[in-house]
Amino acid sequence: MRTTPEMRGFVREALALLSRQRDLGGFEVYVSSSEHRVARLNYTSDIPSRGVEEFKSLNADGFALRIVTARDAHETGSAAIAGDLSIEALREALARARRAAIVDPHFPGLPAGPRRLARSAEKSPTPELLRAKDDLLAAVAWKIIGGAIGAFRARMKLAMPHPGLVIGGDLSLIRDRIAIGGSHFDDLRVDQSAHFASSVTALVEALDAKGTATATGVSAADLIRAGARLGRDAIGRALALRHGERPAAGTYSVVMGPQPIAEILNYMVIPSLTTGAFQAANSAYQGRFGTPVMDARFNLVDDPRTNAGAIRRRITCEGLPATATELIREGRLLGLLSNYYDAHRLLNDEHRAEKLGPDAPSDPSFPAHSGYRLGESSARRFDGHPGATGSNVIMSARGGMSERELLAAVAEGIYIGRVWYTYPINGQRAGDFTCTVSGDSYVIRDGRLAAPLAPNHFRLNANIEQVFARPIGIGRRPEPALVWGSPETYIVPALALDAITLSAIGAADSD
Amino acid sequence: MASSRKNRAADDGFGAIGFLRAAAEPALRRFLRANRGATYAEMRFEASFSRTASAVDGVPRDAAESANAALGVRVHCAAPGGVVGDGFTGVEVGRIATSRTKLAAALQSALAEAFDRARCSAREQTALRRTAPAAVVKALAAIGNVEPSTERAEVAATFRRDPRTLDPAELGRLCRSASAEIVGLGSDVAYNAVAALAELRHELFVNTAGANISQAFAFSQGDCYVVAATADGHQESYDTIGQQRGFECLADDWRDELTPNPGLHRFAVELARETREVAAAPLLKPPEGEVVVVTDPHFNALIAHEIIGHPCEADRALKMEAAYAGRSWFLRSLEHNEIGRPVGSPLLWACSDPTLNGYGHYLYDHEGTRGRRVTHLEGGVFRGFLNSRATAAALGVEPNGSARASEAWHAPLVRMSNTFFMPGESDPARMIAEVDRGYYVCGHLVPSIAESRENFRISARRVYEIEHGRIGRLFRSGSVIADSKSFFRAVDAVGNDLRLVAIPNCGKGQPMQVKRMSNGGPTLRSRARLGGG
Repeated sequence: MRTTPEMRGFVREALALLSRQRDLGGFEVYVSSSEHRVARLNYTSDIPSRGVEEFKSLNADGFALRIVTARDAHETGSAAIAGDLSIEALREALARARRAAIVDPHFPGLPAGPRRLARSAEKSPTPELLRAKDDLLAAVAWKIIGGAIGAFRARMKLAMPHPGLVIGGDLSLIRDRIAIGGSHFDDLRVDQSAHFASSVTALVEALDAKGTATATGVSAADLIRAGARLGRDAIGRALALRHGERPAAGTYSVVMGPQPIAEILNYMVIPSLTTGAFQAANSAYQGRFGTPVMDARFNLVDDPRTNAGAIRRRITCEGLPATATELIREGRLLGLLSNYYDAHRLLNDEHRAEKLGPDAPSDPSFPAHSGYRLGESSARRFDGHPGATGSNVIMSARGGMSERELLAAVAEGIYIGRVWYTYPINGQRAGDFTCTVSGDSYVIRDGRLAAPLAPNHFRLNANIEQVFARPIGIGRRPEPALVWGSPETYIVPALALDAITLSAIGAADSD
Repeated sequence: MASSRKNRAADDGFGAIGFLRAAAEPALRRFLRANRGATYAEMRFEASFSRTASAVDGVPRDAAESANAALGVRVHCAAPGGVVGDGFTGVEVGRIATSRTKLAAALQSALAEAFDRARCSAREQTALRRTAPAAVVKALAAIGNVEPSTERAEVAATFRRDPRTLDPAELGRLCRSASAEIVGLGSDVAYNAVAALAELRHELFVNTAGANISQAFAFSQGDCYVVAATADGHQESYDTIGQQRGFECLADDWRDELTPNPGLHRFAVELARETREVAAAPLLKPPEGEVVVVTDPHFNALIAHEIIGHPCEADRALKMEAAYAGRSWFLRSLEHNEIGRPVGSPLLWACSDPTLNGYGHYLYDHEGTRGRRVTHLEGGVFRGFLNSRATAAALGVEPNGSARASEAWHAPLVRMSNTFFMPGESDPARMIAEVDRGYYVCGHLVPSIAESRENFRISARRVYEIEHGRIGRLFRSGSVIADSKSFFRAVDAVGNDLRLVAIPNCGKGQPMQVKRMSNGGPTLRSRARLGGG
C-alpha cells in the first residue's frame, strides 16, 4: 500500500499544478490505496478440496481528479488514473477530465465546508491490522479449518463413513488509506482504516445440518481470538440443528434473529434511506419523510465512528467529516444517507415536496456524511463517483425483551436465525421481499426452542411493513451481523413478528 | 517517471501486451528457478479502455474516459513433504503498464507476494496434516494433479467503431436524447436514467507450462432505468442491451440472429412506454394453486441464469460456494447426484456455449483452456457442469474452459458464458392459443432462489392473463414461484424463438466479482404458482 506521506505529497504537488490552470474554476484530487486480503475456506470431507482456496490479495491505488471549468460553474469533468502518482499522470488525467466535461445544470460545485479539519483525523484507529502480514492470515484461516475438524470429531463419537462435512467461508482483511485536497479546502485530508471480517459455514449433509459463525474486528488480538472459536462454533451450531423438522406451509408468528434483520435492512431498508432513492422516486418511504415509518420503539443510525462497529472512518471520500447520520428516531424518518451531489439535487428538485411528502420540514437538511467511493468490498477506491453508503448501521429500541421473552411472545412459531437471497421482488418502492430460511433456525413450541428447523425448507414472502411497523416484540440487545457482499456492518436486535407467510420448498431429491 | 523510448512499453496499457507476450514467459520461468519450492506460475494481464456517458431526466449526468491495466499472478509452492500451497496476487497497475521497467518490477513483486502466500498456506496445511486423522489428510490430498494449459493463440476483437476513437459527445448525446424523450412521455414518468458504455479490453495469459494466449474483446452496453408512478400504482423497470461489438450496435438497431437489439434510443423509450403502461395496470392477485404459465425468452433468460447456469457451475456443485451463493440441486454428493438422470421434460434442452456471439463470448478461459459448448440438459436429462481445471480434476472429467474472472486482479471462478434453453419446434403464438386459462409472463425483473436453486421466485415486468387462447388483461407485480424440478418436468411446449439477453452484472465470489454474460431461451410453457404484490 502507498504510505500516507507519499499520498499527501502527490496531492500537494497536484494541487500546485492545478491551481496554475486558468481554465479551471475548481478542482479536487482524491487518492486511495487499498488492499483486500482473503483466505477462502473450503474443506469438504467427501469431495477433494484444498482447505484454503484462493489465498489472495487485491491491491489498488490511484487517484481521481474532478474539475470545474472557470467559464461555467456547472461544467464539470472527471478522470481516474490507476497505479501512478506522478505529475505526468496528473497531466493525462487533466486532459481526460477536460475531454469528458459536461454541463450538468444540477451540479452543485465541489463539496465544501469546513475549509479546515483537525489533524487528529489522520491517526489510524486500527494500526495493528494495517501492518498484519500473510503469516497471520494463513495461520488463522487454517486454525478455523483445524478447529472445525477437531470439534466435529470430538462431537461425533461414532465415525460416519460419509458425513458430507463442508466447512466454507472466508477470512478477509480490508485496509485502505485516502488523501483528498482541492480548491475548496484549505488543508489536505487523510484517513486510513483496517478491519477483518470472517464468516464460517459448517454443513453436515448426512445430518441435513447447517450452522454459521461470524466475526468482525479491528485488532490482531480480535482476529486471533476469532480464529480460535469460529470453526468450533459453526460446527457446534450445525450439530445442534441436525435432522430438522419440516413444518407445513402457513402463516406463523416468528422470531427473527439479528442476521435476518440485518439482511432485510441491507437489501430493503437502507437502499430506501438515501437522498438518491427519494430523488429517483424509488424509496419504500417515498412521500413519508418526517412521518412514522417504523414502530415508535425503533431508532436507526449509521455511525462510521462508533467503537462498536468494525468500519472506522473519519472523513468521507468527498473529504467531508464522516459522522453519524440519524435515520429513524422513535420510528419517525428523520434523515437520509447522502453524498454531496444527491443532497443538493433533492433539495433543489422542483418535485421535492411531493417526493419527501407533506410532513417533511420546509427547509430540510441532508448533510453529506455518506459519500464513499467503494468497489466490490468496503475498501475505499480511487475510481468511480461517490455514492451514498452506510458504514456501521445500528438499530436500537427502547423497552426491549430478552430472548426468552421474545420466544414467549411468539409461543408457537418459528425462530428464523438465517435467511438468504433477500431481494425486493416487486421493486424497492413496493417494499415486498422474498427470501429463504437457510439455517440456524428452530421450531418454537410453548415459548421455547423446541426442535431444529430443516435448512432451506421455507420461503418467506413479506413486506418491510410487517417486519418494522408492528413487531410484537423487540430484542433488548443489538448484536453484530454480517451480510455477504454488503459494504456495511450491522448491529441489530432480534424481533418477534406476527402473521408471516412461509411457503414450503420442495426437496431437491437429488439422492 | 522514466520515459526513455526504449523503456516505454507503450503509450497505453494495450501496447504492453506485445512486450509481455515475449517477456512474461521467461520471467515466470526465471522466478521458478530462483525460488525453491515454486512449482508453477501464471500471469494474467489486461488492458482496458472505456467511455461512458449517462443522462438522468433528460439532463447529462456523467461522462468519463477510463483506462486501466491489471495483473493477476498465481504461484504454487510445494512444501517439504509434498503439500502444495496456492497463492494469488491481483494488482491494478494502471499507468505503470506504460513503462517496461516498472511493469516488470510490478510482475516480480506480485510473483514474490503470491509465492509467499503459497508458502504460508503450504506450511500451515503441512502442520495441520501432522495432527489430523487419516481421513482428513486423504480429503486434502485428493484434488489430484491439475495439468496446466499449454495453448498458444491470438484472438482479435470484433468491432467497427473503436471505443478509443469514439467522440465522447456522441455517447452523451445518445443518452440525453433518449432520456429527454422519456421525460416528454408524461408526468407519470417520475425518473429515468439512460447510460451507455463502449469498452475495449485486451487480455494475456502466460504460464510456465508454455501457454501464451492473447484475446481482445469489444463491449458495448446500454442501460435504462425508469420509474413510473400513476394514481393506480408505480412500477420500476430496468433493462440492458449489450453486444461484444463496437458502438455501432447502440447507435442503430442491431440485427443478429440470437441477440438482436434496437438502438439505445428506441430501446430506452420503448421500456419507458411499457413502464407507464404497467404502472397503470392492476396488481396481480395470484390465483390459488398452480396455473399454466407461458414464459417469454426474456423471462426465461433469468430462469436459465439462476436455475441452470449457477447450479451448473462445478465450484458451486462441489460446495466451494456453500457459505455464499449456496450449493447445486444437481449434485448432492459425488455418489448421489442428477448426472444422467431426468430432471425435466424430454422437450427441455439447455447448454452453455462461449463460442457463440453473445455477451458472454470468449474462446479461451482465464486458465488458458479452450471454451466449448457444454450440454446441461439433453431431453430433460442432466448431463454436466461448467468447470475449471481443478474442479474438472475433482469430478474426473475434462476441463471445459469455464474459469473466468471479471478482471485480471481477481482469481478466476467457474462462470457461465452464453447459457440458455435451446429452441424447440413450437410456434409461440400457438403455445398461447392452446391455453384455455393461464398467464403469459414477459420480461424478467428480480430473482430469489433457494440455497441449492431447487426453488425460485422470479418477478416479471408484465403478466397477462390468457383466456380461451387469447391474451387478456395486463397485471403488475407478478412473479413465478416454483420448485425447479417440478417446473422443468411440467414443460409441455418449447418455442422456436430462441433469443439471448445481455446480463451485465452477475455477482459471484468473495470479494464479489461482477461479470457480463448472456442468457436466454425460447418461449416455454409450464405450470407454476404465481406471486403478486
